[in-house]
Amino acid sequence: MPKWAMVIDLDKCTGCGDCMASCKIENNIAIVSPEEASEGRVMFWMDMITVYEGDYPNIRIKRYPKPCFHCDNPPCVKVCPVHATYKNKEGLVGQIYDRCIGCRYCMAGCPFTSKVFNWYEPVWPEEFRNCFNPDVSLRNVGVVEKCSFCAHRLIRVRENADIEDREIRDGEYFPACAESCPTNAIFFGDIENKESKVYKLSQSSRAYRIKENLGVEPKVIYLSERK
Amino acid sequence: MSKEIKQNFGPDEVLYRPIYETGKGFYITVSILIAIYFWSLYMYFTQVRSGLGVTGMNQPVTWGFYIVNFVFFIGISHAGTLISAILRLSKAEWRRPITRMAEVITAIVLAIGGLHPILDLGRPDRMLNLVSAGRLQSPLLWDVTSITAYFTASTVYLYLPMIPDIAKLRDRGGKLTWFYTFLAWGWQGTEKQKKILNKVINILMIMVIPIAISVHTVISYIFSMTLQPGWHSTIFGPYFVAGAIFSGIAALLIVMIAFRRAYHFENYLKEIHFKYLSTLLLIMSLLWFYFTFSEYLTGIFGSEPHEMHIILYKFTGPFAIFFWGMVVCNFIIPVILLGISRFRTIKGILVASISVVVGMWLERLIIVVPTLANPTMPLPAGIYFPSLVEWALFIGGIAVFILGFVLFSKFFPLISIWEIEEGRKEGIKEVEERIHSYLPNT
Amino acid sequence: MSKMIIITQRKIIFAAQLISLSLIWIFVIAIAFWILNLISLSIELDDAPGASIGISLIAIPVFITLASLLTYTFIGLKKDEFRLLKNSSEE
Repeated sequence: MPKWAMVIDLDKCTGCGDCMASCKIENNIAIVSPEEASEGRVMFWMDMITVYEGDYPNIRIKRYPKPCFHCDNPPCVKVCPVHATYKNKEGLVGQIYDRCIGCRYCMAGCPFTSKVFNWYEPVWPEEFRNCFNPDVSLRNVGVVEKCSFCAHRLIRVRENADIEDREIRDGEYFPACAESCPTNAIFFGDIENKESKVYKLSQSSRAYRIKENLGVEPKVIYLSERK
Repeated sequence: MSKEIKQNFGPDEVLYRPIYETGKGFYITVSILIAIYFWSLYMYFTQVRSGLGVTGMNQPVTWGFYIVNFVFFIGISHAGTLISAILRLSKAEWRRPITRMAEVITAIVLAIGGLHPILDLGRPDRMLNLVSAGRLQSPLLWDVTSITAYFTASTVYLYLPMIPDIAKLRDRGGKLTWFYTFLAWGWQGTEKQKKILNKVINILMIMVIPIAISVHTVISYIFSMTLQPGWHSTIFGPYFVAGAIFSGIAALLIVMIAFRRAYHFENYLKEIHFKYLSTLLLIMSLLWFYFTFSEYLTGIFGSEPHEMHIILYKFTGPFAIFFWGMVVCNFIIPVILLGISRFRTIKGILVASISVVVGMWLERLIIVVPTLANPTMPLPAGIYFPSLVEWALFIGGIAVFILGFVLFSKFFPLISIWEIEEGRKEGIKEVEERIHSYLPNT
Repeated sequence: MSKMIIITQRKIIFAAQLISLSLIWIFVIAIAFWILNLISLSIELDDAPGASIGISLIAIPVFITLASLLTYTFIGLKKDEFRLLKNSSEE
């Protein structure tokens, strides 16, 4: 059974935000009005974290993309009262929008603040409505949503592999952010497969995970010379 | 005519009076409360119609007033059953006029508090998913179970000791005789019936104590089971229980003082009752301080950066006013007012109790919001301003509590009549015998 | 005539009492079934069945005890009332 993981090479990342934009379009994420966004209700599945290190004038800016970390020991799944968020055998942490009761316990329990909530009925500008991704369901008001590692792409990849009666090849399944990254900083693959690129990168001396001390075992690994 | 009837019913007539005589004040209070209730109901409908966006919650402050009030109301509910069970269990004779009121607080506040998580749901229409697809691993489900158990147990514990009083109302005739006959279950006051009732009450009061403790422990688990700094603490269970009893006693004192005045219970709720209960309140205040001190000292001494960040946010940051307000309300005011006997009058006790209730509400706010507002990821701190809807539902909750209490007092006696009678008949002798049994050589 | 009314009234109230008692039991049994359903679900999905069983071990007995206590009281009180009524009618 594969275990899907992501590696983000921060030494390559320019912080351009292309991953955020492609994620928003790929997953039909609602466009929140500027007033709502300023109240802290902005919807990103792939977020960009900016850290300012040091004092003026010696400031160093560190930016890194932050999807859902698809923890192997997910604290959000443990607290969900209705099986609306779950971890499947391939390590993907999913969200069942039609079952979620909107208690937001998973958001409160997530150490990485990776989940977003539909505070109002989601809205899109007309241009967006014409180019919805048919593979991803639209959400309703009052449910929690988050990055799915573009699980809908996995379904398609698996169907192709099944037709050709083979295993999924390394690098065949990747989410929209990895596809759109202009500097190829995002890698995606099966971390259980010792031959995969992701596995090799995860063994790099530059590799680290965020908040490893919590023991939630995130499956997003960052590569960086400076930590 | 009515005066004659009064004289026929012995010394406890004043306890029946609220049920049979209704003044103008009652109608005014009730109509104001109902108006507030409908206003908050309307506000809730706007929330159901357009989504939780009408509240002040956001990312990362995903929980706000509803959860704060949930914890707060459930805390108040520990007034009753727990205190009355402990007093009954320890055979404190002075409990007799207090227990009923305490139990009523529990039943009503528990119903209100228990509904708060539903207000907080983004999809209340899918609530039944808890039945069809619930996960017992989630602390939220522990809550559902333990609150249901506590609600059932505390209503039973309120109702069973009320049966002899209901039978008295039934025998008086007049209004709603069929209703009282239904509820009295054929109570005639025979020896056998008394034996059965006493036996069951004795079992119940022992059962109710662990259930009550479990409820607030489990509520604290909602927070402490997550990995968030400021929440992930082993002390939370006992800390919440102590706080709950603390705010419960304060609420009980407020209710006692209010109804003593409104219904002229001065002969029943004497100064001694307030003195004893306020001693308990003082002890709980010190206990609360001890828990708070331990909780924050461990955080400060360890100085784990995220933990420290939240502690500073509470001590010196935007929540400083609430934090220090809480310390003043929960510790300084009650200790001064209750510790110095000159201030320990009924007025002083009332002020201390109100300050404790406010302080405990602040404590719940301080537990819920700062942790959420300061995510451990390097994200900007969240801001939370409760909206009108949230205020309305808070005020509505309080209004429903008062309404429930006032309506209850119109159907059932607020002070247990039969227990007072029993105290007169048997209590004195029993206490005398008990004291003899303690003392050597008597 | 008035005696008839009193007797029918008493019968209606007695029926209502029996119904309320059975409602209590239905409530308790429903909770037990709910918890058992959740356990079977957690076993089926292999989703922390241990925790579910642990909670059920505490919760179900509590509810059943409460309902039994109520039943015990109600039946006890009612029995004694009937005994009293019988005695008074025999006199």
